[in-house]
This record gives sequence, C-alpha cells and structure tokens, in this order.
Amino acid sequence: MAIRINPKFIDDIDRFGAEDVQLCYQCGDCSAVCPHADDTFKFPRKPMRRLQMGLERKIETSLEPWLCYYCGQCSDQCPREADPGETMMSLRRWLISRYDFTGIARQFFKSRATEILAIIGIALLTLIYLYYFSFSKGNIHIYDGKGAFLPSPFIHEFDLSVGLVLLVFLAINAFRMWYFTMIKGIKVHVPWWLYIKHILTFPWHFFTQKRYAECESKRNTKIFMPWIIHLGLMLGYVIMLVLVMVFIEDLQYGPEIKWQAHIFGYLASIGLIIGTIYFINLRLSKTAYVQFKKSHSTDWVFVVLLFFIVLTGVAQHIFHRTGLIEYANISYVIHLMCVVPWLLRMPVSKWAHLVYRPLAMYFAAIQRDAYKKHEVQSNSFSISVK
Amino acid sequence: MENCRIGVYICMCGSNIAKIVDVEAVEKYISTLPQVALVRTYKYMCSNPGQEMIVQDIKENKLNRVVVAACSPNMHERTFRAALRKAGLNQYLFEMANIREQCSWVHDDSKEATIKAMALIRAAVMRVELHEALESMFVDMCPNSLVIGGGIAGMTAALELADAGYQVHLVEKSDKLGGNVARVDLTAPYLYSARDLLTERITRVMNNKFVHLHLNSKVTSLTGFIGNFTATINEQNSKITKNHKPVEIPIGNVIVCTGYKEFDASRITHYGYGKLPNVITSFELEKMIRAGRIETKEGKIPQYVAIIHCVGSRSMEFHSYCSRVCCMTALKYTHEIKSANPQSYISDIYIDMHAFGKGHEDFYKHTSEAKTLFLMYEKNDRPVIRRADPKDDCEMLIEVNEKLSGEVIEIPADLIVLMVGMEAREDSGEVARLVNISQDKEGWFIESHPKLEPVATTTDGIFIAGTCVAPKDIPDTVAQARAAAARILAKISKGKIEVDAVYSEVNEEICSGCRFCNKLCPFSAIEFNEKEGHSHIISALCKACGVCVASCPSSAIKGRHFTDMQIHAQIDGLLNPVQYIEQKV
Repeated sequence: MAIRINPKFIDDIDRFGAEDVQLCYQCGDCSAVCPHADDTFKFPRKPMRRLQMGLERKIETSLEPWLCYYCGQCSDQCPREADPGETMMSLRRWLISRYDFTGIARQFFKSRATEILAIIGIALLTLIYLYYFSFSKGNIHIYDGKGAFLPSPFIHEFDLSVGLVLLVFLAINAFRMWYFTMIKGIKVHVPWWLYIKHILTFPWHFFTQKRYAECESKRNTKIFMPWIIHLGLMLGYVIMLVLVMVFIEDLQYGPEIKWQAHIFGYLASIGLIIGTIYFINLRLSKTAYVQFKKSHSTDWVFVVLLFFIVLTGVAQHIFHRTGLIEYANISYVIHLMCVVPWLLRMPVSKWAHLVYRPLAMYFAAIQRDAYKKHEVQSNSFSISVK
Repeated sequence: MENCRIGVYICMCGSNIAKIVDVEAVEKYISTLPQVALVRTYKYMCSNPGQEMIVQDIKENKLNRVVVAACSPNMHERTFRAALRKAGLNQYLFEMANIREQCSWVHDDSKEATIKAMALIRAAVMRVELHEALESMFVDMCPNSLVIGGGIAGMTAALELADAGYQVHLVEKSDKLGGNVARVDLTAPYLYSARDLLTERITRVMNNKFVHLHLNSKVTSLTGFIGNFTATINEQNSKITKNHKPVEIPIGNVIVCTGYKEFDASRITHYGYGKLPNVITSFELEKMIRAGRIETKEGKIPQYVAIIHCVGSRSMEFHSYCSRVCCMTALKYTHEIKSANPQSYISDIYIDMHAFGKGHEDFYKHTSEAKTLFLMYEKNDRPVIRRADPKDDCEMLIEVNEKLSGEVIEIPADLIVLMVGMEAREDSGEVARLVNISQDKEGWFIESHPKLEPVATTTDGIFIAGTCVAPKDIPDTVAQARAAAARILAKISKGKIEVDAVYSEVNEEICSGCRFCNKLCPFSAIEFNEKEGHSHIISALCKACGVCVASCPSSAIKGRHFTDMQIHAQIDGLLNPVQYIEQKV
C-alpha cells in the first residue's frame, strides 16, 4: 500500500528549525560519519528523507531523532550545507510537540510571541495567587515561621501541587511516546520481559548521559567539555528539584543553616550557575560547537529562564542569611514567578528531553533485541523450510 | 620497369617493437631482397632525426621508393609522406608496414613475430616497387554556402558565414525563423529569455545582405561534390507555387541544422497523456508560461505540481539515450512555477539529475533552496498516474517506487508536466538521402568522428550542427554551428580544394554501361553518361573504397594506388615462405 506524501510538511517543520533540509540530496555522508548510527537505527539520512517527503507517521513513530546527540560532524561533512544535525534537532522539537497531547508545545515552537506571553501570563497569575493566598496575610519583614511573608508549609504544598500537575502531564506525554514508538512504530513482536531486561538502561542514561560523552569524545575538542558541564547542569537541576519539592522547610529554616540539606543545595547551585552561564555564552558566541550555531527561540527561553531562576534563588538565599529579609521576600516572589511557568512549561518544551532521551535509549535497547530475535527466528524458519 | 632503389627503415619504437621482433635479423633479411638499396634500423623513426634520416638518404643514395616498418599508417603515414615530399620525391612512392599493432603488440613468440615482421616488410617492398607517382587534383571552391534549417543553429551558422562576406542561402521549411527555441520562454540555468536570444539573431539574419532567406522552402535536390554542388530550392507556399519556379543555386558547402522533434508522450500509456486533461508536456507548459498564467484546464491555480523526467528518454522501450536538456529545463520550470504561483508545491520526479554543464550544479542547488521536493524513481519502474478520489485535496495521484526512501509512495498532483525527450525528426531520413550522409539507429546524423570531427560528415562539404546530430542544449548547438561555419570558411579561404589522388577511374573504352557500380557506390560518386553509354567517377566524391573495382564485371575500373598488380604483389610478399636462421646471442 502506497504511503501518501505530504509536500506541505516541509513548510510546517520550517518553524521548528529545519530550514535547510530541502537542500539534502541524500548522498548519505552524514550517516557514514555519524558515531551513533547503527544497523537498526540509521540516521540522519533516512529521517531527513522522511522529513522532506512529509511522511509524518513514520517520523512520529521513530526513535532516531532521540538517539542523535548533535555532535555536528554530519553538518560539518554535508556537501550541500543541508545541516543534518540541526535537522535532527528540529525533529526532536517536532516530536516533543507530537508527544504533547495539549498542543501547547506546538504553539510555543511555532511562535516565540505566544510562548513569551504565556510565560508572562503564568508569572502574573502566580503573583495574584500568592497575593490572595499567602503574602497579603503575612509580614514582609518576616521570612519564615509565624506571620511569615511566604510560610514554608504553604510553599511546600504549593510546590507539590505544581509538581503533581507537571508529573501528570509528563507521564501522559511519556506514555504517548511509548505508544507511538513501541506500539505503532515497531513491526515485530516485543516480548514483555525485554522491558525488564533493559530496565536499568533508563537510570543509567539518565544519570550519566554517557551517549553525549561518546558523541563528544569522537570530536577533536577538549575532552568531555560540553558533556561534563551539561551533566553538572542536569544533576544540579535534579538535586535542586528534589530539595525544593521535599526539603523546602529545611531550606527556609533559620537562622542557623541545616547543612545536611544545604550542602546539596550549594553544590547544585554551583552546577546550575556554571552550566547556565557556559551555555548562554556558547549560544552567544556561536563559534565553539556546531550545535550552538543556530538557536531556536525555545532554546533561549530555556536557558535564560533557568538563569533567572538560579539568580533569584541565590539572591534570596544571600538576602535571607544576611538579614535583608524584605529583599529576600521580594526575590522569593520573583523566583516563584519564574519557577511556576518554568515547571509548567517542562512537559511541553525542550526540557522534556530529560525524560525522553533516556527513555529513547531504553526503548532502543528493547527494539534492537526484538529485531535481533525476530531475525534469528525468521532465519531458522527459512532453514527448516529448506 | 624503372630501376628501383628502395630504402627500408625499421623502427624499434623504443622497445615496443624491438623487445619481440629481432630487428637486426629483419634488417639482415630485408637487405637480401632485390631492389632494396638500403636498410636501416632506428629507435624512433617518427622523431625529427628519424625523418631527417629518410630525407638525407633519398638525396644522397638516390632512393626512389621508401618503406617504413613501424606502427599503423593511421598514426604516421602522413608524417613519412611529408618527409618524402621534403626530399622532392612523390609522396605516393611510399608504403608502410605495420609491425607494431599487427605484430609486436599481439605476439609473444619472438621467433614467429620476427618471421611475420619479415613477411610484412617484404610485402610492402614488393608493393612499393609497383607504386606510381600520383598527383593530387585541385578543384574550384564555390564560396556560396547552403544552410538547411532556420533554428538557432542554422541562423548562427549563416550569420557566421555572412559576416565573413560570403553568400549564404538559408532554407527554412516553415514560415518563420527560430525553430524549437522559439517555443521556449526562459533558458536554464541563467534564466535568459529565449525570445531575446532569437530576436537578435532573426533581426540580423533579416538585415544581412549576404544571407538569402528562403522561408516555406525545401531543398529538393543537391547534386555535385564539395565546392561544386548545385542545390535546387523549392518554395512551397501554396499561394505562390503556381507562378514560382524552383531555383538552382551553385553551392560550395552545406550545413545541415534541421533540429529535433519532441517525443510523443501519448506513447507511454500509463502517464495518461491525452486522456487526463491536466497531464501536459513541457512544451505545453512553456506555452502557458509565455501566456503568463500557469493553470489547470479548469482554470484553477494548481496547488500541487509534479514534473516527471525522462519521458521517452533513457528507456529500453523508447530511446536509450539521455536527451540532455530536460533535467535543467525541469529545474527551470520549478523556478518559473514558484515565481508565478508561490503557493504551489512542486515534486520533481527524476531518475538521475544530470547537471553537467557550467552553472548547472548551482542551479540545482538553488532549486532545492526553493523547496522543490525531489523524488527518485528506478529507470525501468516508471510512475503511474491515476485520478484521485473526490475526497482528496488533489486531482491526480502519482504512484511511484521512491528509490531514496525505499517506500512506495503516492504523490498528490493537480498539474503534471512530462519532460518529453528529443528524437530525430520524421523527415531526417529524407534529408540524409538528399545530402548523402548517414544516420544512426535512432535517426541522428552521424559525424565523421565523434570526438575529433564532430561537425563533419563522411561526405566532403556536408556539415552537421545542433540537435539533428544528437540531443544538446543551446550553447553546444551554437558552438557546433560556429564550428561548422569555421570549417567552411577555412575551405573557402583556400579558394581551391585538393582532391586526394587516390580514387577510382573507369576505363571508358572497356565500360559496357551496365551501371552495377552506380547503385553500389556508397558515396554517390559515380554518374552515368547517357550519351556515351558509360559510367564516370567524380574523383572529388570518390573515397577509394574499391566497391566499384570489385563489382565491375568487365574489370573496367581501376583503383588508383590500389591496382590489382600492387595488391597481388603485396599478397605474394606476405605469403612466400621466409628463411630465418635464428641468431645465437
């Protein structure tokens, strides 16, 4: 049965960043040079072809874009300047919008204005919410405890409810990813026990980002450089998220510092500060690595907003500990106004790759095994027929 | 017989000959032959010292025949004949024995090869004894030229000749100049206007007093030979025909620029051309573009446009050759369609993208930038076009096995453009017979050498240029037209032309007038004298192939430089046993 191509698709994907994909004439240099492409998952040539032809269903059900870590060797090699690396990046953006059941991701990727307005809107709603339910009743000169401007038990509940919303959205999107790639996208039978066999792949890739390092090590740059910073940023981020969600009352506690929570907080903050500044700098200078030459508006929102969150968080902490309670409380409000849109944006934005990437590695390991098993079975079958 | 003093020169050709053939033994043997005055061996006979040696020997040793045993005469016969001329000896008193291609290169047994070389040289020696001094003839060159076909090639050639101050008769069958280029809007890859190209040519042709334009005309006969043709031009306009007589014009040379016709797309049934209203040919699209509106038959702007390449070209069923211009023309269409209807999506369905010319690869890249979707199909797995369902957002669907993705796909289309290839015109056979040139199996005119003589034919004075030779684009066509004109100008400037002294002659006393030879001559060089009742060979047309000599039942025809005696002597020289005593080294 013939598949209908969609020549209009290329116009749609344009806004996701794949501006040059139409230049590709399928020589395959990119796939040859890619350190990650293998027999089961062939890219970037094939996904690029699917994109050119608008085979949406094929792209939607594929894992390949997630298996690319954008070292940029393909874009360096491309004889037609079709920028396969950036095309894979755009496909990831498009996939995020496809996994997202709300359709918000799509709007954000396609329109910078929509995204910024939405962030401002959520920030203002947060302010109004906090005003009605918290700091209008408290005193700006008190940081924590009785009569506090933003009492920690309230913040704890607030955090948890935002976290819950985030988790539900993310879970649904991850489920959709599983459905697209593992049910619609695979032609062979996948035995259930393969999911158990490879279960450790997910945490392994989540915490080490090993594949990112493999990508970099093939290049002739300072060893592990973007990888180690990226890992630091991610770990700092995750630690901070856990601290805020679970130990917020310890963090807000005063006047003495609870070191068992704070030591992690400081480490996480260092990771976040170095990471955000490093990546902002790379995106601004555009020279060091191919993957930072082109920045989509969502990339900027991601890194800049995170930088603000870290900045206001750190400021708030310093003001609190130095006794400038009013400033601490104001910083805190601004911090929360950044944090809420940031967290709610998570499942519909680039940030979701935190989950999709290790999930893709997990699914890919399962698929590789399933295909291998199928091949062995079909081979033994043909031999027995003979 | 005069006293022959034959000089024999044995070339070693570096080691090409000497490593297999024992040249010293050959030298020793040849020197024993009667009439041989001198035998020499040399490293490279074709070198300047080698040639100089022959010149010196002729003068000092009074040689009157020369044999060079070396490579093929194709390679160096001219070189050695020139040496003879330089020494004041008639150039036909020379014979070459090929002991390289026909001996040392093809044998590995040294003894056998040496014996064969001896036999080959002895044959040449025995033949050259019977050679006669022959003198070339000179005939007048009429400076008028005839150009058949008023397209871009014909006009260019005519202008080139006219600009040099010679009369040109430009004959065009239709009522206007311009040919196939006049049906085109823009040209690839620089998007120059075809009309602009032609307007300049046409205006100059019309205003040039040396160009005699014959529109609505045909050349009905061409008789004679190079420098001395007579062309009969017949005007065919029905209104005037009655009181219009054919004109006879003396002509020196002819350029044939009759062009091509496009492939009939309805021959490929599953493209539905002629049945589906919105499947059109590239020329029909050109018409739309020139009219300024690209639309479907229903008058709508097509949302999806598909262009199918190689229609009639590169297929075993129709034409196996590539038509060369369609790829770039198709890319040109995507530019033209995109600029006319920016909302259109264009699918370019091709086999291979042939972007070989100057600026073509860049043009291809620019077309990609304009978001053209390139889809590749397998040579013998053509796309199939069918009507779409009413619920689809397109009118037709093209099913094709897309090679680069490996998927069987359906391409939506509202307008489908078939890139029809070029083929030889249906009247090309008639033209070929008129001017006495040959055609290949596809009907294209054959050049006398595909690489070194691309515009000359096997008939002297008849040149070919442009797309009547093979598919080609405008720059190549113009280059060929100018090349043909340059060849003619070179001939005209000499005033007279030399006719090779080697040709056949009829002994009119013996000729019975049976006319066997008249029909057999492949060059139409034999005319029949009705009054005297015997055949006569036009020496300027004769290529000395020898068919008439062999066919004559009365042995009335003699091939100059290939007389029966000479050939018999050569055969004797080859077949007589050679005594060879191997030298012990």
